[in-house]
Amino acid sequence: MTFSMKRMYAIFQKDVRDLSKNMYITTTMLMPLALAIFYSTMDEVTMDMHYLIINLCFAAVGVFVQSAIIAEEKEKNTLRGLMLSPATLPEILGGKSLVTLVLTMATVLICALLMGYEPANYMIVGGAILISCFFYIALGTLVGLLTKSVVEASVLALPVMFIFSFGSLFLTLIEEYPILSFIEYLPSVQLVELAIEVETGAVFADLWSNFAIILAWIVLASLLTAVVYKKKEMDA
Amino acid sequence: MENIIEVTSLAKIFGNQTALEDVHFSVKKGETFGFLGPSGSGKTTTIKILTGQLSHTSGKASVFGKPAATLNKPQDRKRFGVITDNSGLYQRLSIEDNLKLYCNLYDVPSIRISEVLEMVSLSKERKKNVAKLSKGMIQRVTLARALLHEPELLFLDEPTSALDPANSKHIHEGLRELNRKGTTIFLTTHDMGEAESLCDRVAFLNKGRIQLLDEPKTLRRQFAENTVLLELQDGSNITLPGGQEGAKEVYERMASGQVVSIHSNEPTLGDIFVEVTGRELV
Repeated sequence: MTFSMKRMYAIFQKDVRDLSKNMYITTTMLMPLALAIFYSTMDEVTMDMHYLIINLCFAAVGVFVQSAIIAEEKEKNTLRGLMLSPATLPEILGGKSLVTLVLTMATVLICALLMGYEPANYMIVGGAILISCFFYIALGTLVGLLTKSVVEASVLALPVMFIFSFGSLFLTLIEEYPILSFIEYLPSVQLVELAIEVETGAVFADLWSNFAIILAWIVLASLLTAVVYKKKEMDA
Repeated sequence: MENIIEVTSLAKIFGNQTALEDVHFSVKKGETFGFLGPSGSGKTTTIKILTGQLSHTSGKASVFGKPAATLNKPQDRKRFGVITDNSGLYQRLSIEDNLKLYCNLYDVPSIRISEVLEMVSLSKERKKNVAKLSKGMIQRVTLARALLHEPELLFLDEPTSALDPANSKHIHEGLRELNRKGTTIFLTTHDMGEAESLCDRVAFLNKGRIQLLDEPKTLRRQFAENTVLLELQDGSNITLPGGQEGAKEVYERMASGQVVSIHSNEPTLGDIFVEVTGRELV
């Protein structure tokens, strides 16, 4: 399959212009920022609090915003125009995901600065946050492709966001309900685990399983997204 | 002349409903081909199959000599354009920004934006947001977008539906100009006036089957009654047979100053459609 940086960048540029005029997106981004400001006033911000906000950024921006921009393209019939143009699947989804990647990472960074989060190893934690972001964007893309409108996407995104971003809140229930043990393998749980390990001096070699699980989620979400996109390319 | 589109025994079945059945036609290079039929006759289904948006159940559909379903490579997509009455534009962006995106996607220099906007008479509105445009203007922007890369083949699905006559005329002029420059046009419409004024050949599609296919003038002649209608000074109309028999009376009435106007009794494409299919074009 061909890939043109120019076409991907054209879609990225269009989305930057479009999103800058989209109040729905800008107000969604404010939610984690407002909560980060609130937490920053506390005497002590625990690791769980830091990652509650980081996961909220993933949920609100990575999943919610990405699903909304894809669903809007479908709702307004503009995605069909892109699909009929020379732009290929990686160019269209790459261009659209790049905007969300920039927005999500910027929101995470601002929130971390506001809350004074200073990881023991910036490379490892930064890398883990970046690859986690890929997963949430793929998830948002999938939700957007599966729905027909922004409203529908918002509804479907809520439980998806809840499970993937805040699943760690239910870790304590695993002993009582073993069926919930899958929660341990959620990317959000793996990210928090990794961040805590890093604070105790863990290096990359100690953390490969966390990275591998997160990467497996990325592969799964990307494959599903590609399959659904191909299916949507053809009407029936 | 080379065929750009070739369709043989094409069929499409949705569940237990047949949308297209045993459809055969071809479109020559440089031709404006009209696919006419009422709503639900299978026009849009045909365009979707030809542009690779929909798979077909059986038969063959090829465009540029390749199976339509395989036209998904960038170099193939650059060869055709598609306009429907709901071709999406980005509402929050200006006309110029919408076109700029497609210039980059089709690898066309931005200078082309001015040229296509000139063609659709929207040069002054280029900075206007699409959300502020009328339906007619939006359709003209859609046409401008499809013209950016000067496609070899343009698919138009009801391009002027819901447009007022002035806007339709504008679109028609743009299409004629494009066709003069060599673009092959495949047009679906239920507007017979539009078909008569634009198409070199037309196919009548009814309930998923082509019932008639020929040049509009040939069809009109074939279904003509061979009579002439005279409008007289006293306000009455009379119908006379064509040929020698009627010619004498026409001459006499003209000579005596009774005739206001003379009309041949050629049917419109709409009349022919009703005669052939028993259905109105709505």
